[in-house]
Amino acid sequence: MSVLYIALPVAILLALAAVIGFVWTVSRGQYDDLETPAYRILEDDQKPKSKDKSN
Amino acid sequence: MIEQTHESETISQQQQGTCIHCNLPVPTSRQTDEQPWFCCAGCEVAYAILQDMDACLLEELNNSESVSSSDLSYEEMDHPRFRELYAREVEPGLFRIRFHLEGMHCASCVFVIEKLPNYLPGVISARVNLTNTSVDLIWDSTSVSLSEIARTLDRLGYRPHPPQHNDAEQIFQRENRKYLIRLGIAGACAGNVMLIAFALYAGMFSGMAAEHLDLFRWTSAALALVSIAWPGHVFFRGAFSAIKTRSPHIDLPVALGITIGGIAGLINSIRGTGEVYFDSLTVLIFLLLVGRYIQFRQQHRALSQLSLLKSITPRSARLISHDEILTVPIEVLKTGDQIEVRAGDVIPADGVVYFGDSAVDESILTGESRPRIIQNGAQVTAGTINLTSPLRMEIESVGENTRMGRLMNLVELGVSSKLPLLELANRIAGIFVLTVIVLAIVCLGIWWSSGVKIAVSNSISLLIVTCPCALGLATPLALAVAQGKAAKRAILINSGDVIERLSKPGFLWLDKTGTLTYGKMQVHEWYGDRSLFPQIRALEKQVVHPIASALTLFIDQQIGTEEQDCHTLQDIDYSPGLGIRGEVDGSQLAIGSEAYITEQKWQIPTEFQKKIAECRQQGLTAVLVVADEELLVVLGIGDDLRPDASATIQKLQSDGWTVGILSGDHPEIVTPIASRLNIDPELVHAAVRPEEKLKIIQDSTSRGITVMVGDGVNDSAALAAASVGIAVHGGAEASLQAAAVYLNRPGLAPLKELIDGARMTNHVIYRNLLMSLVYNVIAAGLAIGGLINPLIAAVLMPISSLTVLILSFMNRAFQEPHS
Repeated sequence: MSVLYIALPVAILLALAAVIGFVWTVSRGQYDDLETPAYRILEDDQKPKSKDKSN
Repeated sequence: MIEQTHESETISQQQQGTCIHCNLPVPTSRQTDEQPWFCCAGCEVAYAILQDMDACLLEELNNSESVSSSDLSYEEMDHPRFRELYAREVEPGLFRIRFHLEGMHCASCVFVIEKLPNYLPGVISARVNLTNTSVDLIWDSTSVSLSEIARTLDRLGYRPHPPQHNDAEQIFQRENRKYLIRLGIAGACAGNVMLIAFALYAGMFSGMAAEHLDLFRWTSAALALVSIAWPGHVFFRGAFSAIKTRSPHIDLPVALGITIGGIAGLINSIRGTGEVYFDSLTVLIFLLLVGRYIQFRQQHRALSQLSLLKSITPRSARLISHDEILTVPIEVLKTGDQIEVRAGDVIPADGVVYFGDSAVDESILTGESRPRIIQNGAQVTAGTINLTSPLRMEIESVGENTRMGRLMNLVELGVSSKLPLLELANRIAGIFVLTVIVLAIVCLGIWWSSGVKIAVSNSISLLIVTCPCALGLATPLALAVAQGKAAKRAILINSGDVIERLSKPGFLWLDKTGTLTYGKMQVHEWYGDRSLFPQIRALEKQVVHPIASALTLFIDQQIGTEEQDCHTLQDIDYSPGLGIRGEVDGSQLAIGSEAYITEQKWQIPTEFQKKIAECRQQGLTAVLVVADEELLVVLGIGDDLRPDASATIQKLQSDGWTVGILSGDHPEIVTPIASRLNIDPELVHAAVRPEEKLKIIQDSTSRGITVMVGDGVNDSAALAAASVGIAVHGGAEASLQAAAVYLNRPGLAPLKELIDGARMTNHVIYRNLLMSLVYNVIAAGLAIGGLINPLIAAVLMPISSLTVLILSFMNRAFQEPHS
């Protein structure tokens, strides 16, 4: 069962990576506004400019 | 800027052969000469519809004269001082500002506002935040002025407000992030320690090699230490301050349990024998932090987005300098400046009038509905409204030094100095700590004969399993659920302690105008000669007065609005507060109060006297009309009671509340209303100024729970000082901010619902606390009996939390009434 000596640290490292990722997202303010982004994806960010001007 | 690069990316991708609508590869057969390409007909149609809608919608919105738009010019925003105060230069020529927007609530709002750069050249980017209804704008000052941006937002129906200076919101955001990080770390530790604990439990039943046992113990010890030291330190801090102030706090037993559990676990890990309770400890920390986070979120005052004073005074003023009138931001004004206030504008500062005659509506300060007549040399106060004609005034004090500013300082002081409520959970915590320590000593004594080792180990397991996890969750959860449900019933509760404060009946003070009544004068009764109506209307049109507008409105309804201007008016004489008279179509007409008529020594026939008495009984003001020295018409005018006021007050009184009235209005108007509502005359205070309202509320709070219900700025100091301030539907911004509860539904029925709901929620809290105590009693019993082991502890603890959770969600407070 000496595989435990490798598996356990790996598991902890994975958890650490997740925690670091979480802290990073929090400090980037990704949880500050939970409402607007859900609506923002409804917008098309491609604009009709090219259609009107190229013709 | 980021947006734009993103856009050019998508276009270049599109040129590489992907569908413009869905970004899938476009088959060669569809790669025509004409851009853009689509992968299928469906995408082509959908794209066309969306783009058409997009363009039409924006054009329509931009061109339409939106109903909700105001005709403000926002010129003051172009003043350099404004930019200096509120905006920030991000790049040369590019400025950044944040506006709070009124009326923003849905996806379409986000859509329309974020498209701002498309139809207003010069705006570089607009990012909306729906949570705090604000927009972050970057604009190019060389190609567009800020006032134009503001006007565009206004025309779209979103009135922009510059941000306030105090940084409450930033503090909230910082705290919020700290809480989330703590939660994340505590959660990760708890999860991993629990996984390791599974291995240890398996080893407990089937045996495990000593070296693996050590490995698992040490790993979980390390993780638990991280959890205790980082996210868990909040409990130690709370416990320390509880000891320092000698007040019980739920953190005290928590810190005790964590410390003893941690030390015991660590010693047992070093010794390699005995129990480690790291899984219970880390889960405990995580669950308690969840409770703490819920509590933090519910205490955040969602409405405090504009500073009080700024919401009342206008943002701009018309400064007179060298015979020129400039629109300047209000921050520029100083003592000694001369300003002009147009009719209909809010007066921006305190000062003395040196030119102009007008009437000023001071109801915002005094609660009195009748306007005050202003002449040369009269004092005017910031926040009041100039009604009839332009005034020029010299400023004596601005901003916080005005009477309104001082009043708002009282409000802010009242909010911040309110005694915090010692929550039930915390009151229990003190007794709880004592009981647990006594039990631990008892446990030690019982097991002493079986050896020190067993006695100590049993006492420690007792301390750990009785750690009040469910107790820490019970109150915040029940309160959060109640707040959520109440919000669905249009009762907005700012802070959770409101519900605990409303648990027992106490004093309930109601404002009259706008709260008990509609806040609007109306004709209720009339008696006499109808043929005089057109002349009455013609004469009353000459003055700006609530009673005059009630009369003209009533006559408009009675005889229609035709034949308006065919009356000749002469020799009009207006006595403020009494009446008006003049020659209409050749006959002498006088309209006024009973006192005004008797002063002229005109006779009042007995039948009319009876009518006047009837009006007074109903709490109506009698208005008498005399034509050519003969009394012909009597009208009863009053501010009508809300239909549900009487029933609500009766119910509250039978629940044990002491109900009183605090009104700025005249006693002769307030007293009849009080008697109609069966309110004890001793509890009716009429003609009270805002400062006196505050005084009465302060006296009352020293005698017990005091609830103030009001709607006006003149109530706001009292609302802030009361144990619970409740602002009613349609109230002034300042009252909403001062109050802890906002009833967003007309009428007084929501008040009853709030008080009932609070009572029910308190029952839920009691039940939750009882349940968690029962679990603790069971756990303590098992520990004293020497029957506890880490597995039983690990099962018991989440079950008690789960029970509390289910009980909290399964309560009927603030539920929709069954019809």
